[in-house]
Amino acid sequence: MRQGWLGVVVLVLAGAAQAAGFDARPAVPAPQLKAQDLAGTERTLADYRGKVVLLNFWASWCPPCLREMPSMERLRARMAGRPLVVVALDSAETPQEVNAYLSRMSLGFPVLLDPDGSNTKRWKVFVLPTSFLLDAEGRVRYVLTGPTEWDEGEALQVIESLLAELPPDAR
Amino acid sequence: MADLDEFMRFFRFLLLGMWACTFVVRADLPVAQTFPADGQQLLLWVASERGRTAPEVQAARQLAARGVETWSLDFASAYLLPQLPSSMDEVPLQDLEAWLREAQAGGKRVAVYAVARAAVPVLRAAAALEPAERQALCVMLMHPNLYSTVEPLAEPDYLDLGSLAGLRVLVLQPRRSAATPWLPGLLDHLAQQGATTSHVVLENLREGYWARETPTDYEIAESRRMDALLLHELDAWGCK
Repeated sequence: MRQGWLGVVVLVLAGAAQAAGFDARPAVPAPQLKAQDLAGTERTLADYRGKVVLLNFWASWCPPCLREMPSMERLRARMAGRPLVVVALDSAETPQEVNAYLSRMSLGFPVLLDPDGSNTKRWKVFVLPTSFLLDAEGRVRYVLTGPTEWDEGEALQVIESLLAELPPDAR
Repeated sequence: MADLDEFMRFFRFLLLGMWACTFVVRADLPVAQTFPADGQQLLLWVASERGRTAPEVQAARQLAARGVETWSLDFASAYLLPQLPSSMDEVPLQDLEAWLREAQAGGKRVAVYAVARAAVPVLRAAAALEPAERQALCVMLMHPNLYSTVEPLAEPDYLDLGSLAGLRVLVLQPRRSAATPWLPGLLDHLAQQGATTSHVVLENLREGYWARETPTDYEIAESRRMDALLLHELDAWGCK
């Protein structure tokens, strides 16, 4: 009987831990992503198919967004050679505003522009930062509202769990 | 039996104490900070769920110096509520209705300026007014939060505010906000509730720019001239 209660407590705590951070979603196809990068090249999710994608909606005026950027860059460096791509989509700012920030912060992952906010609206983003973790088939699997340290803890665990779904030779 | 008597005495004392505490809280209710002025405009300034800030008090003082009588309301403080958006949904509407009627009874042109989630009780109280009272009111909302629920990947759901028929609403939306792309949907919702809407996007500003931890130079400058901004928008709007 005592073990039964202990099991319930563990389950409740596990649920609470899950609720505190990443929101696991049923695997459904992601909304359309159609945005230009800083070089003016049109990008879609098809460019990243076969890889796990961390898609981060941010803005240069948003302090929590800027706080988590260094950890996204560390994640990119740590995962070099593995099928993970980090994509930062700037929400509803001009290229000049984005470039002003990037001149102060060197990032090795692609930054996409959404000056008219159309992608922000298609993905129904209401808070910045909001991040989506997509599996290699382009399906949304986790959503996080708010910032995190991407190269440690729960963030790293959920990314590794998505990478673990890939065939061993592709991880 | 003696134990029961003692318990009942204690229980009566407890009830009396709770009633007395309630009375003390109500009696000390800081209804509004008032900034009297001789002009014909009265502005009811309703602070956000985070409470009244020093720059807002300063702006209210400056407005009064420019002839606009200003009553500064802080629901979170007045009702001892946590400084959370959901607290604004707990504000007793009858109190706010009474404030609006009292303001209108003075004979001045009355405008309400509400910030963030404080827009919800203001609009609901306006909906509860008589149509003629509502039509005489102008409401300015600074980055209003009217969401019922929002969740990534799902359509936003807005609160039912009641009938806003005849109410003129001006939304002031700082450009640097996650809510800016959603402004058309918010205006549509207000229009569906019957309001006549207009909006102004405030360039280079963030939500709550007057109380930011790390404000830009421009935000600091703009927070010092909030009185001028509000007066300008009221005049340009022409809600008289």
